[in-house]
Amino acid sequence: MLQLIDLKKRFGDVVALDGAGFTVDRGRILGFLGPNGAGKTTAMRVVFGLVRPDSGTVSWNGGTVGLQQRLRFGYMPEERGLYPKMKIRDQLIHLSRLSGMTKKEAGAAVDHWLGVLGLSDRGSAKLEDLSHGNQQRVQLAAALAPNPELLILDEPFAGLDPIGVAALSRTLRELALGGVTVVFSSHQLDLVEDVCEDVAIINEGRVVLSGSLEEIRNRSSKRRLTIDVDGQPWIPMGAADTVVDAQGRSHCIVEGDAPIANLLAQASAAGTVNTFMFEPPRLTDLFREAVES
Amino acid sequence: MNAWRQVALLAKREFTERVKSKPFLITMSILVVGILAVGPIVNLLSGDEDEATMIGLAGPEPPGIEQALQEQAGAFEMTIEIERLGDAASAEQALTDGVVAVALVDGTEIVFHTDVSSRLSTLVRGALTTAVKSATLTELGLSEAEVGAIFQPVPVEVVTLEVDDPEEEAKRVAAFAGTIVLYISILMFGQFVAMGTVEEKQNRVVEVILARVRPWQILVGKVIGIGLLGLLQLLVLAGAAYLSAQLAGLGADIDLASIGLPIIAGVVFWFILGYAFYAFLYAAVGSTVSRQEDLQGAMMLPIALILPGYFIALFAAENPDGVVPVIASMMPPWAPFVMPVRIADGAALPWEIAVAVIGTAAAVVALVWIGSRVYAGALLRTGGRIKIREAWRAAVD
Repeated sequence: MLQLIDLKKRFGDVVALDGAGFTVDRGRILGFLGPNGAGKTTAMRVVFGLVRPDSGTVSWNGGTVGLQQRLRFGYMPEERGLYPKMKIRDQLIHLSRLSGMTKKEAGAAVDHWLGVLGLSDRGSAKLEDLSHGNQQRVQLAAALAPNPELLILDEPFAGLDPIGVAALSRTLRELALGGVTVVFSSHQLDLVEDVCEDVAIINEGRVVLSGSLEEIRNRSSKRRLTIDVDGQPWIPMGAADTVVDAQGRSHCIVEGDAPIANLLAQASAAGTVNTFMFEPPRLTDLFREAVES
Repeated sequence: MNAWRQVALLAKREFTERVKSKPFLITMSILVVGILAVGPIVNLLSGDEDEATMIGLAGPEPPGIEQALQEQAGAFEMTIEIERLGDAASAEQALTDGVVAVALVDGTEIVFHTDVSSRLSTLVRGALTTAVKSATLTELGLSEAEVGAIFQPVPVEVVTLEVDDPEEEAKRVAAFAGTIVLYISILMFGQFVAMGTVEEKQNRVVEVILARVRPWQILVGKVIGIGLLGLLQLLVLAGAAYLSAQLAGLGADIDLASIGLPIIAGVVFWFILGYAFYAFLYAAVGSTVSRQEDLQGAMMLPIALILPGYFIALFAAENPDGVVPVIASMMPPWAPFVMPVRIADGAALPWEIAVAVIGTAAAVVALVWIGSRVYAGALLRTGGRIKIREAWRAAVD
């Protein structure tokens, strides 16, 4: 279990973290969300000791996190980077050995992940000779090869094509099933909704919403109402944040105790109701609510 | 996982990735070929020193002149060869053609081409005197043994007040070459450390590494790995220099190993100290920039320290007991350049050497500490150049 507790960090006048904290259980996948500059990268760097917080702690399985614990963590920084002129197998083995693996273990782990990521035949290529997408996979292999118990990935889906997205999603789910704890940040909320069980939303250095996705959706006082009447959007009185989608349906956020029967009656009076959905809010609704309020 | 095992892994990567890189191999090959070429060239230029001096004989010659010439030459420590030239005309021709250096014509004339060599003239005159007088004495009835006894050289020892030792000159040349090699090596491998640091920052790999090790480990691993590369280059160049000296024919007169080994040991020793001092400085300033383009400006600081050291070292070769060389030879930034020169000259006192070594070693320890902190504070900061003070403070925050 990873716990970030009340982390605070200032860089000069800029407050990067203002009491941020969240918890992820073993074998869970947490989507770490927030607007640009909210403090995601700083929080992740704190876990790896790359940034020393002004106050607050990080604990792993109840204990403090030191050098030895961090060697069991895998990290993919937002700023990708490896040695451009080094052969990819050599550098993955080098990084895995730095994480404490023996030469033999590192060789086996690297070959395994190069195989999983479809790079088996590129092991002796230099990194700079690979395509952008393949370089991204090597970066992922650098985080995965040391066989980590905790995986922290900063924007792992950025720059991947849909096939790469699907493959990475599958890999993360398999790792979680195997007991690996995964934290990743992303701006692609649909993706997070598909892949994650837990989310933490950070804004201005504070975690404003966190928990299991299902729980926070249900816990929300808001509901999403999707309506189309005669193929036209139909907007109830007093609804906020109305959006019309490409199918001509209106989406709006209403209070959970809104008079649904009345609204449906009003809609029916206006014409034929093709769509009338009253659901828990989507992640994107929760995100906007959490960040904008 | 032991911290020093990680340092060893980092050092090993620095060494192995660089030792097989093209720029390194090319530079090394050019240096080795250049050094090896010097030997045969020197040999060609000074090659005929040991050849025999040709002495011509023309016309009727005094009996026993040939033996007398050889004996005289022995006394002069010269090797000569006798060339029979027939008559005076052919002797002139041989002199003009440079076949002989001097000719004895008719046993009465000593002929040179243009310049009279007093040495050769004395040699021939002495031989002539001996031959003519021997013949006269034999005619007067003395036995061959009696004549031999008369002309037996008087045993007399020739001494000089100061020994003109060819090894002394060789030592000076080797020490001078050592100073230049030391200067170039420290500059070159120090810059490798700075460039390697910026490279890791520029391509962002440093964050991946820092998730696994502490900044000081990266710093020390890099300095050790590149330092080993420097030592390898020094030893290869020393081997090439030894071969080259053999090719130059120097091995015949002097014991190359006994002169070369102390110089090489000295260069290696002072390289380790001097390189360590400057490498940590180079790493610290290298970490304050994010792009290779900005590195030149940042490297002004170490260069501004190294250059005076080099010039004082050159000055110390002439004037090892001057105030500036004596003081500089005990100051950490300059001791590695100046002290070996003073030691080679025999001018350095034991306590001065002790101050230089201990002082520089202590400065290295301090620089590891200061350098690691600047390095730690600057590594993850990108963008423009970071002030060293700012990086120092960032490491505490």
